[in-house]
Formats: sequence, C-alpha cells, structure tokens
Amino acid sequence: MKKHWKSLAERKNGSDTPEKQSLPKGNLEQILDIFDNGNEKTQSNRRDFLKLCGYSLAIGTVLASCENSVQKAIPYLIKPEEITPGKANYYASSYVNGSEYCSILIKTREGRPIKIEGNDLSSVTYGGTSARVQASILELYDTSRYKNPSKDEQKISWEELDQDILQQLNHLKENNESAVLLTPTIYSPSTKAVINSFLISFPNVNWVQYDNRSATACIKANELCFGKAGICDYRFDYADLIVSFDADFLGNWLMPVEHIRQYTKKRKLSDGNTSMSRHIQFESRMSLTGSNADYRIPVKPSEQAMLVAQLYNEILKLKGIESYSISVASDDIRELAKNLWENRGKSLVVAGENDVNLQILINAINYELENYGTSLRIDKQILTKQAIDSDMEQLLSDLTTGKTKALISYGVNPVYDYFKGEDFGRAIKKLSFSVSLDMAPNETSTLFKYIAPDNHFIESWNDLEPKTSRYSLMQPGIRPLFDTRQFQTSLLAWSGQETDYLQFIKKHWEEELYPLQTSYPNFTSFWNNSLQQGVFEAQTKSVFDTKFKLNGLGELIDTIANTPKSSGFELQVYESVAMGDGKMANNPWIQELPDPVTKICWDNYLTVSPKQAEEMDLETGDLVALNSGVKLPVYVLPGQAYNTVAVALGYGRTNCGVVGKNVGVNVSKLSRLKNNCRVDFSTGIEISKTEEKYELAMTQTHHSMEGRAIVREASLGDYLNDPAAGNEANHAYENAGIYKKPNFPNHHWGLVVDLNSCVGCGACSIACQAENNVPVVGKKEVIRAHEMAWIRIDRYFSGTDFNPSVTFQPVMCQHCDNAPCENVCPVAATTHSSEGLNQMAYNRCIGTRYCGNNCPYKVRRFNWFDYTKADSIPNNLHDVAEMTIDLKRMVLNPDVTVRAKGVIEKCSMCVQRIQEGKLNAKIDGRKLRDGEIKTACQQACPSGAIIFGDLNDKDSQIAKETLSKRNYHLLEEIHTLPSVSYLTKIRNTKTNNS
Amino acid sequence: MSKPYGFFYALIILFLFICPPALLAIEADSSHIAETEDHHFNYFLNSEKRGERLFKGLTRIKTDLTACVSCHNIDYIDTLNWNPSATDISKTFADKSIAEFKAVLMDPLGKKMEASHVGYSYSDEELGYIKAYLSQLKQETIYTTKPKINNILVFVFFGVLITMALIDLVFTKKIKYKLIPILIFAFAFGYQINMLADGAMALGRKQNYQPAQPIKFSHKIHATDNKIDCRYCHTTADESKSAGIPHVNLCMNCHVIVREGTNSGRFEINKIHAAIENNTSVEWVRIHQLPDHVFFSHAQHANVGKRECQECHGLVEEMHVIKQVEDLSMGWCLDCHDKTAVDFQANGYYSSGFKNLQEELATGLKDTVRVTDIGGRECARCHY
Repeated sequence: MKKHWKSLAERKNGSDTPEKQSLPKGNLEQILDIFDNGNEKTQSNRRDFLKLCGYSLAIGTVLASCENSVQKAIPYLIKPEEITPGKANYYASSYVNGSEYCSILIKTREGRPIKIEGNDLSSVTYGGTSARVQASILELYDTSRYKNPSKDEQKISWEELDQDILQQLNHLKENNESAVLLTPTIYSPSTKAVINSFLISFPNVNWVQYDNRSATACIKANELCFGKAGICDYRFDYADLIVSFDADFLGNWLMPVEHIRQYTKKRKLSDGNTSMSRHIQFESRMSLTGSNADYRIPVKPSEQAMLVAQLYNEILKLKGIESYSISVASDDIRELAKNLWENRGKSLVVAGENDVNLQILINAINYELENYGTSLRIDKQILTKQAIDSDMEQLLSDLTTGKTKALISYGVNPVYDYFKGEDFGRAIKKLSFSVSLDMAPNETSTLFKYIAPDNHFIESWNDLEPKTSRYSLMQPGIRPLFDTRQFQTSLLAWSGQETDYLQFIKKHWEEELYPLQTSYPNFTSFWNNSLQQGVFEAQTKSVFDTKFKLNGLGELIDTIANTPKSSGFELQVYESVAMGDGKMANNPWIQELPDPVTKICWDNYLTVSPKQAEEMDLETGDLVALNSGVKLPVYVLPGQAYNTVAVALGYGRTNCGVVGKNVGVNVSKLSRLKNNCRVDFSTGIEISKTEEKYELAMTQTHHSMEGRAIVREASLGDYLNDPAAGNEANHAYENAGIYKKPNFPNHHWGLVVDLNSCVGCGACSIACQAENNVPVVGKKEVIRAHEMAWIRIDRYFSGTDFNPSVTFQPVMCQHCDNAPCENVCPVAATTHSSEGLNQMAYNRCIGTRYCGNNCPYKVRRFNWFDYTKADSIPNNLHDVAEMTIDLKRMVLNPDVTVRAKGVIEKCSMCVQRIQEGKLNAKIDGRKLRDGEIKTACQQACPSGAIIFGDLNDKDSQIAKETLSKRNYHLLEEIHTLPSVSYLTKIRNTKTNNS
Repeated sequence: MSKPYGFFYALIILFLFICPPALLAIEADSSHIAETEDHHFNYFLNSEKRGERLFKGLTRIKTDLTACVSCHNIDYIDTLNWNPSATDISKTFADKSIAEFKAVLMDPLGKKMEASHVGYSYSDEELGYIKAYLSQLKQETIYTTKPKINNILVFVFFGVLITMALIDLVFTKKIKYKLIPILIFAFAFGYQINMLADGAMALGRKQNYQPAQPIKFSHKIHATDNKIDCRYCHTTADESKSAGIPHVNLCMNCHVIVREGTNSGRFEINKIHAAIENNTSVEWVRIHQLPDHVFFSHAQHANVGKRECQECHGLVEEMHVIKQVEDLSMGWCLDCHDKTAVDFQANGYYSSGFKNLQEELATGLKDTVRVTDIGGRECARCHY
C-alpha cells in the first residue's frame, strides 16, 4: 500500500520509528478515544461522544424516569355556603391608609383576596380607585409584616402582652403620669368611641392625631372665617372655572379619587356636552394637576401668597368694595379676576399650601365669588385630615422634656416622616413604656418596647366617615394571616371591655346611624344591606349659615405685602403620585409605577428647570448636594419654575421590608414649621454640583412625538366649530389596505380611551398588574428597558421648555385587525381571534421577539427572566419583588397564566374577564349586555377614561364613541387597523394650541 | 483496524446509559426483602418480628384461621382489595389503645367484618405485637408506577438491531443483499424515533392513570347501584370552572346514616367520620388535571354545551377505582370542537348574535354550526 505524507517531518519519522513515550491515559481520555484508530481525521470524536451521551440520556429520561408527580385534590371539609370553587366572591369594604380613603370591593377566590376594585355604590369615590388602592392588596401578603406580638423583639403571647401593658398603664394612672396615644386622623365613628372609652379608663392618656402632611391651615382658616373648623367639601364638578394655587388635587391633595372624578366629569365632551371647565394652575413644580391644567403659570412657592392677595384685591375692586393698597397686579391676574367674577357662583379657587393666611384669603375670595353653597360647602366636610401640626410639636417637646412618660402609637411613622424625626426617635428611645400597634415594622415602631401588631385593613372590621354623613363599612376579606389583632380590639382589651369590635360597631350603628334612615324596618336588614353595599349615606339636612366672620384682612394682606421677596433657590417637597407618604414603600408595584410626569420609578430626584440646568451645567442623572447635606440626582423637568427645585417625599425608608429599603433619599427634614403649620417649601437653598453620576430608571426617555399626530388635541373653541378639530385625518387610512377588512361574526372587542378624561394617575397600570400577574422587574431591569407593564401611560410635552403643555396617553396592546406582530411569528403563537382580539399563547411562544420588534406601539413585553417562579429552574429566577415567596404569590390571579422566562406577553384586553362575561350570558341564555364586562384598567379608572365594549353592538357606548369625530387610531397611517381608539384631547384654551 | 471495536464500545456505553434506571427500578422492588440476616440474633426477642409472624400466620400452633395478611395486604398491589391494607389499619389505630383495637378486631360492629373475623382470638400481648409490627411498616405511597422495563428492553433490542445492521453494512458485509440491513436499520431506527416521540408527547399526560385513593370510594356503587346523579356530589359543574370535589360534609348527607358499605364494610366510611371528627381533610389523588396554562370551564361544557360527563370522563359510573380514560390532550379537545354542533337556536346568547351564521343556517347553506365555526379553535378561548 502506498503511504502518503503531509510533511517532511512525518515522512522522516514514518511509522517505523519507535512509539512516542506518553503519559498513561486517564479514564475520560480513554473514553474520548473510543473511535480513535490512529487516524488524525478522527479528532472530532469528542463531539461524537457527546452526541452519544445526549442520545442515550434522552432515551433514559423519556423511557425510564418520566413520572408525573402525584398531585393532591383537597376539598373543603365543610364548604362555606357562599364559596364556589372557581368563582370569585366580592366583599364591599373600605381602603384606608392614613388619610387616604376609598370605597372598594375585595375580590376573593376560594377565600383568598386577589384584587381590589372600586365600589360603584359610593357617592364619594364612585367606583374609582387610585394606584395605591389597587396596590394595597399586595400589602396584605407583605413578608415584612409583624407576625406576632412582641416585647423587646422577643415573641410573647397576647395574654402576656395585655397583662404587661395593663400593668404599665395602671402604674402610670396611679402615679398620674402623662401618656400619649398617637394616631393618624381617626375618621371612624366607632374607633373614636373606642378611643374615647380608652381615654375614660385612663384619664392620664392624651390623644394626639398626626397627619404627616396635615391640612392645619385649611382647618384653622375655616374656623377663623366661618367659626367651623374643618375642611370644606370641594365640588370640582360644580365649577366652570378652577383656579388652583399649588393644590395638587388630582395627585395627592385631599381626596384625589373623588376629585379626579368630579374634575373629569365636568370636562367630558361626549353625549353632546359642549362645555367644560377651565382650569388654571399656579405652581412651581410640574404636578399631575398642573400637567392637566388648561393654563399653567409657573411661580415660586413664596410668590403665591402675593398673587392670591392681588387676586383678592382685584375681585374686591370688581365687586365695588373697598380694596386694599398693595402692589399693582399684573394683567394676567386682573384678567383672571375678571373671569372669576364672571363665573361667580360657579368657580372654585383652591390653594395647597399649608399657610393659614393664604387659606383665609382663599376663603375670602371664594366667599366674595359666592362659591359657598355651590362648588364648596363648609357644612359638609372632608373628615380625613383633622390633625393640627402644633399638637405634634407639643408632643415632641413633652417627650423631650420627659413630661410625657409613655407613648402608644398606631399607624404613624413620625421618625421617618416628621421633619424633626431624629429628635422624635431619640425621645422615644428614652421612654420606659412604649407600645406600637403598627402592622409592619417601620422607622418608628422598631424603637418601641412592645409591639401589638394591627391587622391589615383587608383582615379588619371598621366603619368610616370620610365625609360628613357619608358612612362606609370595612369588612374583612380573609382571617388574619398572622397572630395579629386589630388596633381597636387591643384598645378595647386594655380599657377592660368586651373585645369583639364587630359587635361594638354594630352597637354603635344601631344607636347612632340606624335612626338616621327610614328605608329599613329593622336594624338587621339595615346592617346587612349597608354591609353588602359597603356604604351608607345618611340624608341629613344641615342648616349652616356660611357667613364670613373674620375682620382685619387688611393686616393680613399687609403682612403678605411686607414679606420680603426671596431670591435664590426655593425647594419644595411633595408627595409623588405613586409613592405618596412612603407607607407603601415596601410595595414593589408602587415602586415600579413611574411618576406620571417624569416617568421615573424606583427613586426620588431633584427636579430642576431646563433654564437652571443650562446655567448650572446640569443634566439628568447628575448628582447634586443641597446645603442641608442631602445628595440627590437631578432630573431636568420642563415646566419647573425657574429658581425652584422640588423633590418627592416617601423615599429613603431605612426600616421596611427588603423591597423598599434604602430606595431613594428621605427628604422629610426639608419641611419646616411656619406659624405653627408645617410648610413644604423652603427658601435659601444652595445647590452644588458633584462630579458623581446617578442612574435613574425611566420608562420613557423620549419625549417627542417626532412630528406624528400620536396625541391629537384641539382647543375647545376649535372643537365647537368643528368636532373633528385636530383630528382632520380622522380614519383617513381606514380603507387603505389591499386586503379586505376582516369581518367579525359576533363580537368585536375594542377599547376607547378618552384623552380628555385621562389625567394620567396610573391606577389602570397597577390594576392591570394585579389582574394579569404582571411581574415587577426592578430598577436595573427598568434601566435596560425591560419593564413589563401591559398598560403604560405615555407623557408628551409640547410648546416651550419653560411652560410646556402635557398630554397623557395610556397605551396598551392596540389589538390590530391587521397586526404586524402576527405576521412575523414563526410559530403562530400570536394570532387573531374571531372576536378581534390579538391573542397570545404563552405556551406556544419560543421567544424570538420578532413580534415585539415588529410592533409599532412597543406594547409587547419579553420575560427576560422568571420573575414569579413560573418554572422550576432556579437559575432563571430574578426576584426583586419577593414574588417567588409563597405568601406573596397568593396575590396571583388564578385565571391568568403566570408567564415563565423567555416568552412574550402583552395586554389581552382582559380576555379572562371577557370569557367569564360571555359564559355568564350563555348560562343565562341571553345577549351580552353592554358594560357587563369591564377590563381591569377600566374598572380602576377614577375618571372613566377607558371604555370597553363590543364594536359590533351598535347600541353600545363604545360604538357611539367610535363614531365620534374626535375618534382616531394610533399611527393610522401604517394601517394596522387597531381595535383600540382614542378621543382627541380638548383644552379649554382660547387660541388654537395645535 | 479498530473501527468495529469503536462501535462495540459505543454499544457498551449505550447500555451503561440505559441500564442504570432499569437496574434501579429492579433494585427498588427487592430492597425490603434482603435485610433479615443482620437482625437474626434479635429475631425472637423483637416484638415487631413477633407481630409480623402473627400477622403473616407463621405461628407454631396450627390453626384453621386464615392469616391476617391474606386479606390485609402489606405491599402495594395494583388490584382493588376492598379490605383495608396493613398500613391503612396501622394509620387508623395508631393513636388507639389495645382495648379498642381488640374490640374492633374480635367483636366487630359491621356485618361484613363480623362474618370474616369469626373465631379470631388474640391476647392483649399478641395484639400489642401486631400493633407494633403494623406501626413500623413503611407508609406506603399512594401511587407507584411500575417501571416500564418492557419499553426499555424493546428500545434496547432495536438499538442492538441497528448496531448489527450497521456493522454488517459497513464492515462485516456478510449479508449479500445490502437492502436487507438497510431495511432493518430503517425500520428499527424509525421504531425508536416513534417510541421517543410517543414518550415525549405523553409527558405530563395521564391517560389510564388510576392511582389508589385514600378512601376506597367506588363510583360504581354510588352512581350505578345507588343511582346518585353526578351533580349531586359535583355540585358546581353547572356554574363554575371546577366541577367540585365534594366537600366531606356533603358525604355526610347520606353517610350519617349509611355506616357500612357493601364491599368495604365500615372501615372506609369510618374515614369520613374520622375526618369530620378530627377536622382533617381528605387528600384525594388528583387525576384529571390540565396544565396551568389551560383554562377549562365545566360550566361552559356541562351547562351551556350540554355535554354528558361521560364524554370526557368515560364511564365513571362503572368504575370502582376512578381512572382517567381520555388523554386530555389538545388534539383530543380540538377534535371534539371540530365535530360538536352548537345548539344555536335554544340559547339566547347564540340566537341574539352571529347574524351571518344565522342566515346561513336559515338559507340552508349550513346545516349545523360547529364549535369551531364560532371560534372553538382559537388560542385565547382556553389559553390566557
């Protein structure tokens, strides 16, 4: 046989040379050599080996070891009568978080609360909710909650605790030493009765109410002006002209859910309505309210008082009453005064600043404008904020001097959110006896000796009176998950009474409320009906003569006029729309809800005006230091008043669960006390740029529509001339395609979003998250644009940097009838249904993300990780929200698949609700009624901006809205034929703004 | 050269990978037998061992009485034994005193037990031994699959065939007509692929799954012999997604009076009473189970669609031990959706909509509307 060689060396060595000495081969190498016959060509046998391994492993697994795990099916031992496995129950209840109130329905499945919905029967909230109301369901399953009573961090039993506390209380009582019961504003009639009986048992105990952002000025001003302390009932739906001086009434002012509804009700243009209110906002930062205003005037916080005084003076001039001599008002203010005067009796002027003088002037203006009795009433009051700031100051000094020996605290966190929190903390540490009745550990409660943990509100009974004679009941949706006890029960136990709080409430209602009505013949039916409806609204006629009693406004105006103008920076602290006061900081849904205006989540930041930023060479993400020592990242916010900065409260919690801990910076100490009222702005702020950078998690980094009519808007005047104003291209591309438009035989589901009603509050986003098991991804992932929200609210600026117009646009899957995503899926995981839905089959998706790339609306989200423990592969997990813990997973909706890693997901138009609604109609053998099915976003919306329905049903509301001249589709020109459409935004401005 | 050896090694490795599961399965079966030797010394002193001998009837004194074990099985068996198994007995009497045990054993209440326990008489001491023996019995798993050795052997057999065919085809070349080894190879390989595909598709499916249940509940006795309607117990089939596994209190509707069963005597029914008394739940082994991403509604099928339970669950009323008849695969679902006609006129929901279909029906263009015509094949009907 001929022998070939490749090189000279090979030829030289040949096969006849003695064998090369080599190390003995190891086991693995021997196996690797199985095919080696000495030929160099067989060097690839490692791969063959692996193939072999794989092949045999596959056989081994498939044939021998695949065994289904044994699943148990455990029925109820004794099934509760009202529970049907597989069907949800709804219990009317109330949401309470400090001064936030909402009438709600708790949706439970097999006894497990999974969702909160608004209660339509309430004439306070009218079925609306807020983002925090929606998110509060997750608080129930918070892993950081107190799970048992404790003493010095040692677990004890309730009996031991009661014994200890009674002993201590009696000891204090005997020695007549002062103790304090510290609570937020209590607007529950029964709880008040409980507290009163506790105070009777222990006369040495003082009761102090503390609201971290109180309405002291409002309360005092009303007392001074009308002789009736309290907050007026504001009726934004009665006002044709709303003037707000820094009152963020759509965001976090008094009762945002109610006020959003009133505000948008007056601004809806459907059903032939041709008028809407005009809203003028004076403010420094771009608040949610300001961004919805028709006119927004950026002013420094310190300048507001002067403007209000001038406005008052001008109104007096118009009224022909003797006016005061102060600096001449600008044309704008004169014009405003004229407009207000023309709208007297149907206008409303409000101010957010906690300044008694300012609030007195506001009252005077409203009084002169004859608004009392129409757009605001003093006889009906908002009762959710009753605390007076000076009480807290007094308490702090009493604690520091040692006059107060003991503290019982419930539901407040002054160490964190009081501006002298550190002093407070030091004083508490010195106390020999302190009890906290908080639900979860916070900066304050961890300093207390005894912890007597309260139930979550979903585990509690209570009654509430958020507004005069508007009663609301709170009923539990589940038994207490942990060894906790309601605050009221604890107080009852310590005052030596029967500890059944439910019976206490019943007794109270029988005595106090039952006589107020005539509809029910006996108390049992009255109680059962009230409980079922969640609310009871007493029809009481009040006779209150609203008469302005205060004299000496001149002095007050002089004080304002003589206040020197501040120069330099002014800083304002505020509660952000998502986070609020920070009580919910450990709630990942809230943390990941972007601020409506800045679109930033997981942080607070200093908003700086663009002009200022240019001057100081700042850009978004720069870290700056304030003279108070606080370091904050900068966000350059168009519309922020020049020379002002603002930063959100509620961040920088140091003692809560793992989610919210050390997220952002605590800026509570930047408030101050002025005339015994805590004010939120301070002057003389210095800002210095540092070299450091800080990464902010933004869900929207691009703010321009790039010349496309994504949000279409018009002024009211133009709209009245031509209803299609701003929407001239209305459905122009409808028949542009070369294919026939698809036909839907029975239903064609669609959504209409009224941009005129949407205020951008974000309740829909959280509702969707709760309903559809949408995961939280965490700050890092948001920075990488991996957030999962199925419904996002896009925010666009238009106009100038100095004072832009803002528009909000909720964007969810548009359910295109000519969907670009469907064409590109290689595995047909996303297809179109005969009811017009763009369906997503997760179990079919292989994660190519072609659909996401081809979606012009960017609504498809990809699961880069397994966020919710949907599969059993530990390495896939990415859990910032503790959603892999069984306790928290109890919040998951069993009617929606929990998505695993590597699949695309998107808005399904709540197909589980559609299926449920259709099934109910089929069971009853009837046509599906319009409005019977509500998507989660629609249900949550306080302004009714989202309408769901059947486009094929010509009588439905959605079909009518679709025919409106204001109706348009997003990016109509690309002919995707969406099932979701929008109604143009109409601004009540005089000129054409488009 | 060494090439044929390479294939030989390959074959060995193939075996190495296949065999361990099979070997393990065999080992598991015989593990509990081979342990006596070490304990031989203590054998006659050990009360458990004495109990075992009593239970198995290995006594020195000869009796005509059948041993306990002949009715009360110790090991898992895959046939239905109406009598309680040894472990079942031990569970029931774990917390009971010897006196109670004695009373039940020697002076039973139930007719069936009375008949079969005639003549049994044990001393307290002996009963103690039996109880001790029973209590140390390994808690039997409710369901064990028998290892599928047959499948593996078939697979290996075809693997060998493939190897032989290849060896002959490439190296030995003993068979004259090359077509023969090629055919053998093609057939054997095809069969193997088919087995793999079948196995893969059956993953997560439980056709013919028939595990032992914690209570020997017979649908045959309830539904056929006593003519109880399915919905009497599965109450929510018409209104909810879930048909509902009857809560224990519902059983008590009848069993508060019916205390003894035809086949199982009092033992099984007593379990219901025990559950109620001790406030413990009955943990049935779940049989019909769809994956988490499937949303099936009984109300839609049983109430709106007027399907009979048996169409999906098989002839449950003839089963002593409940068993999954269909494979509950998506193909099976869609097959029915394709064939089943919708009662279009009777239900107001359908008759008030679907104008085009109504017209087609009226004009005779279509004689029936099937589920698939109204979207029964669409993803989001079941997956969301």
